[in-house]
Parts: sequence; C-alpha cells; structure tokens
Amino acid sequence: MVFNWATLVQVLALIVSQVHGFPKPEGSRDKGIYNRELSEERPLEEQIAEAGAGKIRKTVPTENKPEFRNYSFTDDLNLLKSVTGKERNEKERESIRSSLYDHQQPAPDDADSTKNRRLVDDYDSTKSGLDYKFQDDPDGLHQLDGTPLTAEDIVQKIATRIYEENDRGVFDKIVSKLLNLGLITESQAYTLEDEVAEVLQQLIANEAKDREKESEDLDYPPSRTDSDTEEKQEEKMSVETPNVADQVGVMNGEIDDTLVNTWPSSSVLERRNELPSEDNFEDLQYFPNFYGLLKSLNSEEAKEKETLITIMKTLIDFVKMMVKYGTITPEEGVSYLENLDAMIALQTKSKLESPLTSTKNKLLAGKAEAYLEAIRKNIEWLKKHNKQGNKEDYDLSKLRDFIDQQADAYVDKGILDKEEADVIKRIYGSL
Amino acid sequence: MAAGRGWGLLALCGALSACCWLLCAGAAEQEAAAGASRRRRLSQEDGISFEYHRYPELREALVAVWLQCPSISRIYTVGRSFEGRELLVIEISDNPGRHEPGEPEFKYIGNMHGNEAVGRELLIFLAQYLCNEYQKGNETIINLIHSTRIHIMPSFNPDGFEKAASQPGEFKDWFVGRSNAQGIDLNRNFPDLDRIVYINEREGGPNNHLLKNMRKAVDQNPKLAPETKSIIHWIMDIPFVLSANLHGGDLVANYPYDETRSGSTHEYSSCPDDAIFQSLARGYSSFNPAMSDQNRPPCRKNDDDSSFVDGTTNGGAWYSVPGGMQDFNYLSSNCFEITVELSCEKFPSEETLKTYWEDNKNSLVNYIEQIHRGVKGFVRDLQGNAIANATISVEGINHDITSANDGDYWRLLTPGNYKLTASAPGYLAITKKVAVPFSPAIGVDFELESLSERKEEEKEELMEWWKMMSETLNF
Repeated sequence: MVFNWATLVQVLALIVSQVHGFPKPEGSRDKGIYNRELSEERPLEEQIAEAGAGKIRKTVPTENKPEFRNYSFTDDLNLLKSVTGKERNEKERESIRSSLYDHQQPAPDDADSTKNRRLVDDYDSTKSGLDYKFQDDPDGLHQLDGTPLTAEDIVQKIATRIYEENDRGVFDKIVSKLLNLGLITESQAYTLEDEVAEVLQQLIANEAKDREKESEDLDYPPSRTDSDTEEKQEEKMSVETPNVADQVGVMNGEIDDTLVNTWPSSSVLERRNELPSEDNFEDLQYFPNFYGLLKSLNSEEAKEKETLITIMKTLIDFVKMMVKYGTITPEEGVSYLENLDAMIALQTKSKLESPLTSTKNKLLAGKAEAYLEAIRKNIEWLKKHNKQGNKEDYDLSKLRDFIDQQADAYVDKGILDKEEADVIKRIYGSL
Repeated sequence: MAAGRGWGLLALCGALSACCWLLCAGAAEQEAAAGASRRRRLSQEDGISFEYHRYPELREALVAVWLQCPSISRIYTVGRSFEGRELLVIEISDNPGRHEPGEPEFKYIGNMHGNEAVGRELLIFLAQYLCNEYQKGNETIINLIHSTRIHIMPSFNPDGFEKAASQPGEFKDWFVGRSNAQGIDLNRNFPDLDRIVYINEREGGPNNHLLKNMRKAVDQNPKLAPETKSIIHWIMDIPFVLSANLHGGDLVANYPYDETRSGSTHEYSSCPDDAIFQSLARGYSSFNPAMSDQNRPPCRKNDDDSSFVDGTTNGGAWYSVPGGMQDFNYLSSNCFEITVELSCEKFPSEETLKTYWEDNKNSLVNYIEQIHRGVKGFVRDLQGNAIANATISVEGINHDITSANDGDYWRLLTPGNYKLTASAPGYLAITKKVAVPFSPAIGVDFELESLSERKEEEKEELMEWWKMMSETLNF
C-alpha cells in the first residue's frame, strides 16, 4: 500500500498540498506566508508546499471562487522560472506540475472575480488562433461542424478528455503547444490549468455522487470481517467508496486500480474547513473509512461523533500546517492521512455491535484472529480427512448450522459472549 | 519517506486521535487487553501459547480448541465460582456430550488452590495438544479419544487464580489466592468421609458411596463453597472412573488416604485399593523425569520427603489432610483420584511453563490411559436390560463399586487373579473368576436373575416335579 502511494506521491502533492493548504477562507492569516518570495535557494518541496497553499484557494468550487482568486502573477512567474529551470525527469515533472497547480499566491485583499471572466475573454479572442493551431491536432479541439469553440467549451472538452482517458498528458501537450507558439502567456496557461482542473473536479464529484447513491452504504457487510484477506477488503472499499482517487490518478497520468483510500479534493477540504458544523458529513465521505465510522455511530453517541470529527479536522489541519511550514513533505502528509484512514478501516473492521471501546475492540480483534485460525485448521482437517477416507465432501452448511447452534447455546450458558458468538458465526458465514 | 522533522508531532497527533476515537475503557478490560496483546509475544507452538491465561484468555483458549476440533470437543460449565466465573470444562471424546455405554469417563481438575498455577496452564495446553494430535493422525491419541470421554477442568478456583495472578511482579506469595473468594480452602471443604470409613472399618458398615442422600446433604450444607457444591454435583452426575487433581508446591503423585487413621500428622494410611493406587500414581510420575528422580533434592531444604517413593506418596504418610477432594471421590463415588503436585514453586515465572509442559505431557496422556485397566463390562438382567447401581465387589478388596445407568462398570485392578461378584437388590448375585493383565481391561458381563424370576422358576420346577410325581404315583 505504501508503495502504491509512493508512486503516486508526486501527483498527490497536488492534492495534498491542497489538503494541507491553509484553511481559512478569509485567508488573511496566511497572508504573510503566501507572500513569501519564492527563490531558487529554497527546497523544491517547500515551494511546492507553499504553492499548495495557493492551490487550495484556487480550486474551490465556483461559488467560493471570489474569495480565493487572489494571486499575483509575479510570484507565479518566479515560481515557474525557478521550477522550469530544473531538469525535467519524471519526478520533477510531477513536482513541477503540482507546483504549476500550486503556484497561485493570492494577495489577500484582492478578491477579483473578474479575472476569470477576463480569461474567458482571452480565450475568446484567441479562439480562432486556437482553432487554426489545432486543426491538425489529433485532440481536435473544435466542434464537429467546425464552428469555433468557446473558451468554456474548450475547457470543458479538455477536462472531459482528461477524465475519460485518465491522462492529463492531453492537457500538458496542449498547454505546452500553446506556450511554445506564444499564443498564451504562462500565467494564462496556469489559469487554463485551473479552469480545467475545476471542471475535472466537477466531473469527478458528480461521478462520485452517482456512485455513492448506488452503493448501499459505506459500512462493510458484517460478514466481511476477519475472514477476508486485506485485498478483498480493499477491493470492496474501492468499489463502494467515491472514487476521488481517480482524480489523483488522472493528474498523474496513471491510475492505480488497487487504490484503496481516496483523497479529499481541495475543494472538499476547503468546504470542510469552512463549515465547522459537525453534522455536515458530506465532505468526510472522502475519508471513506472515517465516514463509515461516523455513520455507524448512533444518535446517542453524538458526543463521540463530535469528538471524532473535531479530532479528524484537527489532525488534517495539523498535517496541512506541517506541510505548509515545510516540516514534512506533502508526500509524507499524504501518506500519513492515508495511513490514518487505513487504521480507521482496521479498527472499523474489528468493531462489531459493541460501542467504541479501544480495549474491547483490540480484544475482539485478537480473539477473532485466534478463532479464525482455529476454524481454518478445522476446515483443513475436514478436507484432508474426507479425502483420505474417500468420503463425500464434508457438509459445510451442516457444520455451520451446528456451530451456530452451539455458539448460541454457549452464549446462553455464559461460555461465550454474544460478540464472540457473532464473530464465530460471521467467520463461518463467510466461508 | 523522508526525515522525521515534524514526524514526531504528527505521530503524537495520530496516537492521540487513535486513543480518542477508540475511547479508552475500564481497568479490567485494559488488563485483559494487556493480556491479549501479550499473547503473541511469548513462545507459541502449534497453537499452544506458553503463557498464563487469565479468565478471559482461558475461555478464549478453550473456545479455540472447540472451534478447531468441534467434532471431538464440547465446552460446558459445571457451575459458577463465588465471584461468578464459570467453572469451565472442555470434554474431548468422539461423541462429545454423550456418555457411550461402556466408555469410561475421565477427569482432570486443576488450580483448586488458585495460586497453584501450573496445573491450570498444563490442562489448557493438554486440551490444545489432544486436538492437534488428533488432527495430525496420532494413533495413540486417536484411540484414546475414541475409547475414553476426557473431561478437563483447567481451573476449579478461578477467583483465587485472579487474586494470585494480580500480584505485581514475579514474586507470588505462598498463600495469596490459595482459597476461594470467601477464604475457603477448597481442598479442606469436602465432607470428611474418611472419618466415617474408618469407623465403618472398625464397626462394620458400607465401604463405598458413604454420603447418604448426597444431593440433599450437599445442597443444604451451608459450609460448602459454591465451587465445592458444583464439583460434587458433577461427580454425582457423571460416572467418573479415574481422575487427577493438579496442585503445586511440591513434586509428587499422592494417593489415598489423605487423612490418617489415628489422627496423627504423618502415618501411612492405605486404602483398600492401595495396590492399584500406587500403580496409578506411578503411571503419572514415571513419565515425568523430575518427579520420578529418586535423587532429586527436596523442594525446600527442610522438607520431609521420606515418604516419597518413585515420585509417589501415600497421602497420610506425607501429611494428614482432612476434607480433601481426592478421598471424597473415592468414598462417595466410583472415581479413583490421585493428587499430583507439579512444581516446587506454586506460581513459577511464565518462561518456565514450556518446560513444565514438556516434563508433564507424557505423564498427562499416560495417566489417562490407565483408565483402560482391570475389568469392565455390563450388568444386565436376563432380558438384557441394564441393571443400574448394581454392586461389583472384588474378593479381598474392601471397596465396592457400582454400575452406571447403562449397567456399565469399570473396576481398576492391578494384574492378578480375582473373583468378581455382581449383585443388586432383588437379584441373585453372580460370581466370576477373572485373570487380569496389566492392560487392557478384561471384559466381563453379568446377567443377573431377579429373585422373582428365580421364584417363578422354582415354582415351575416344583410344579414340574409335582406333575411328574403325580403321574408316576398316579395321584
């Protein structure tokens, strides 16, 4: 799992820096940091981290845009220069890519939403040029009937393309072409990237919402506890949870099918930070296991819910802070949060009907392991024994019924706890 | 991943969050959790983890054995301790839960003194071992399990054990946790039948099943601990044949009688079955190298082990014990029980448990096998119906046994020639001669004629004679 993440980490830097970028909508607190001059002496990670700060602001959903559209082009260019000066190996490309995404350094008191519109106008004005330029472009950035595309169309189309092909190389190609041809300035390139990213996010979010509506719930069916291998569990999770991870994969030009945990998009996290209401779980769906955990708490455990959410938020803020200050790399932050969610998965897996108690869960998990081991040995022996004796295959359902019955009897007699009996039944049920 | 500059902080944060959303529970659970987490640290072999099991772990270990071998095992409880812990038993047999006619019943009881911990652990290991070996195809074990019903009670005094085990550090007091939660020494708590049998020896009277109206006597006796009551019921309900009661504090296999006849502190007090008991005790000790080592120094410098022979001792010869469970078995039921002292130290350190297992596992298995000795069979009437509670007496041995509900009986005897007599109220006794080898047990069945049948027969005979006479004499 770590290895998988490691490969995606550069890309995740994008998301992560979004994650760890600085939360407050007002942004005034972070003013000082954001305005730090980028210089080549500072380590790339740090710059990326900073850039991440900017990116968060950048990629909030449309309605929040006005507050975050604060960026200074000078900084952008400086960053770009410092960054593009480095050698373009795979790793660095990704760093750069993320830094490109992250470059936006909002000036705190310059909430100018019109910039967006101007950009659209820019696109409009160069429209014909684009059309011309890309006539032979296999990507085909024009409508079928040959009419020129509007800027929005172009953005939409690029985003859709990237989404469908899971490959942001499409975008890179286009942008670099545009840049090389001098048709757009670098800052316009950045802005274009932002636009595309937003649309892309929207696409992904919509898809995620659809999928979430389809899947019953994020809680794993109780039978799938300890009898499943880790992989089985993960497959289940990747199917049932909103696939924001795809976004990450897309950005990286790769997609890892065994991705287990999903990452919150910056917009989502921004929303989370803006909405301190503990009842708003929408955002937390991007931490699927955590979300599942919360959902499984009943109304009487409101206090626990509150505590959990607060803790989670605090943690995320903490991690963001770390990344921002360069104390850790975005990759490390990503990995940390991902591990956190995985740990939640583990705990949730072993959690049964009983309320959240640490020792009880650990105990049950330990017992479940021991019981699973014992049951396995029995099944193995039965298979071997019957084979040797040339008997018919042992009747699993009969055995299961017998065990179920016995387990219940044991509960009545005080030999087994109800939870233990359930664990045993589940293990047998899953065979 | 790179350096840990901010990592420490994050780790802290993570640890905090982990703690928080798992919401710490109470002390007892933490204790158990500590045990649970320790579990996999120590040596493990074939599913046997050589470490002390507290009550939850004990339960879990037995459940694991049952889950692994559900076709040959069953867990049940005999009753509850004073503090409410179940007196758990795991039975191992090819037909768990049922007494098969003719199949002898065996029991092991451990940890009667809560601070004598080795027996408790050995019995948990034994249960796992029997299951493992059965599945591995170990013929000795398979045959044993198919021919015997083995009951294993790892702890007769779970409350005492918890008290003893809760002592911090390695040093365990000689007495803490010995008694049950009420402060009762369970091995002095049984009705003292020795005294009665000694009187009967002198003045005549029954030589077996001396507790009259057993159930009533037990239930109404305010002096009996709940644990003691449970065990007595258990003994009454199941026709146990052979048993051992595991202790600690010394290293010897002790046999009846425990209480001296004269009341003195040390005196060899043989029971009528002294011969077979010596053999049974050796059946345990001879397989334990430390126990049977004649040159072994005593556990403590000033210990008097002069009565120890081949790792065995007569109870009274060692020191007088009144009200013990061992003699109670012999004098209230058909069960022959010995007391095995497994370790000089009552609660030795966990690291030694594996060695204790190695030293005792052969003894533990071989002792069970001793049940298949002597004479066994069925007592039935002429129609083939079982006669329960028939008496089987052996000429020259002043101790009778009785047949169980299916008419089945098992009479442990050393090799030799014996005359066995089966009798029952309303039936004519039958005597048979038997030559008994060391093992296996010789099968001898009895078909008893009831008195009324006999009367009928006699009447018929008389009628026949009269008829013949009248015909001859022309009546």
